[in-house]
Amino acid sequence: MGVANRRRRDAFLGLAAAATLAATLPALAQVNPLPPEKAFRFSARLVDAQTVEARFIIADGYYLYRDKIHFAIEPAAVGLTVPRLPEGKVKEDQFFGRVETYRGGVVVNLAVKDPKPGQQIVIAAESQGCADIGICYPPTVQRVTLALPAGSIVPDASGDPPQKRWFN
Amino acid sequence: MTTRLQRILLLATAGAVALGLGIGIAVWDRHPPDAAALLALSLPDTQGTPQSLRQWRGKVLVVNFWATWCGPCREEMPEFVRAQRELGPKGLQFVGIAVDQPDKVVQFAKELDLNYPALIGGYDAIDLSKSLGNRLAALPFTVIFDREGRIAHTQLGVLKPTQLRSIVAKLL
Repeated sequence: MGVANRRRRDAFLGLAAAATLAATLPALAQVNPLPPEKAFRFSARLVDAQTVEARFIIADGYYLYRDKIHFAIEPAAVGLTVPRLPEGKVKEDQFFGRVETYRGGVVVNLAVKDPKPGQQIVIAAESQGCADIGICYPPTVQRVTLALPAGSIVPDASGDPPQKRWFN
Repeated sequence: MTTRLQRILLLATAGAVALGLGIGIAVWDRHPPDAAALLALSLPDTQGTPQSLRQWRGKVLVVNFWATWCGPCREEMPEFVRAQRELGPKGLQFVGIAVDQPDKVVQFAKELDLNYPALIGGYDAIDLSKSLGNRLAALPFTVIFDREGRIAHTQLGVLKPTQLRSIVAKLL
């Protein structure tokens, strides 16, 4: 093999070795956990005039606690019916006993109790989860604004209470 | 070692160091950690009595932000209890700041035979930990101070026993 070729091969081997070394650096797993809104991405869409499909997409290596998921609607007066959440994976926690978690994702259909045509609503979802690398996030709230199908525009009721009211 | 192998290893090390440096710099908070703000803090213990962190001035202080709802937090604490017992006489002092309800903290502290103070932090404590470099406001988050009140180490995630012991040994 000529000198030039040998040099090229060595350079390639060096880079390959660097990549492998870097990939196995244990510190890498610790340093860059996702922010909770990316680890537990919440989205919501209207399935029909009265139903909201709420969805969490959970990144690989992360999990959510089933009993820490709560939904609210703004304005609160519109009202929300939250069904029983799907079953999660059961874990025996040393301190809390039986605990259910979600991985991958979870979808919940929420019923809007008193929708007004053309009204803008906000679906707020609170969740709390952890990463397998060994950190846990405090409860995080994510919000999605939706426009109910238009009829005539009805002005918002004034004086809605500003405090959050969870519907489950 | 042949010169060819040396060259390959040199390239590999250079690559890995560059990568590590880049990630390390990216992660470090833009603001320098605010040691003074934390040490000036006064928080209630589980009985409701305010406890100022200043009372532990001169110690090697390990401030651990945790919660009972955080599994990894609970898992690392037995080792903290052990280290407190062994190295307390040499000047090591753990202080837990729980972002939690006092009754849950009391219950867990009993189970663990906790031998260091458990203060109740609330979400303001999480905000404070952000100013110390905890960008994601996640738990556990640990800050280690030297005897002069300077930050020697911050850790997001579980602090392994060997790492804890090695950091603390240099400071005691």
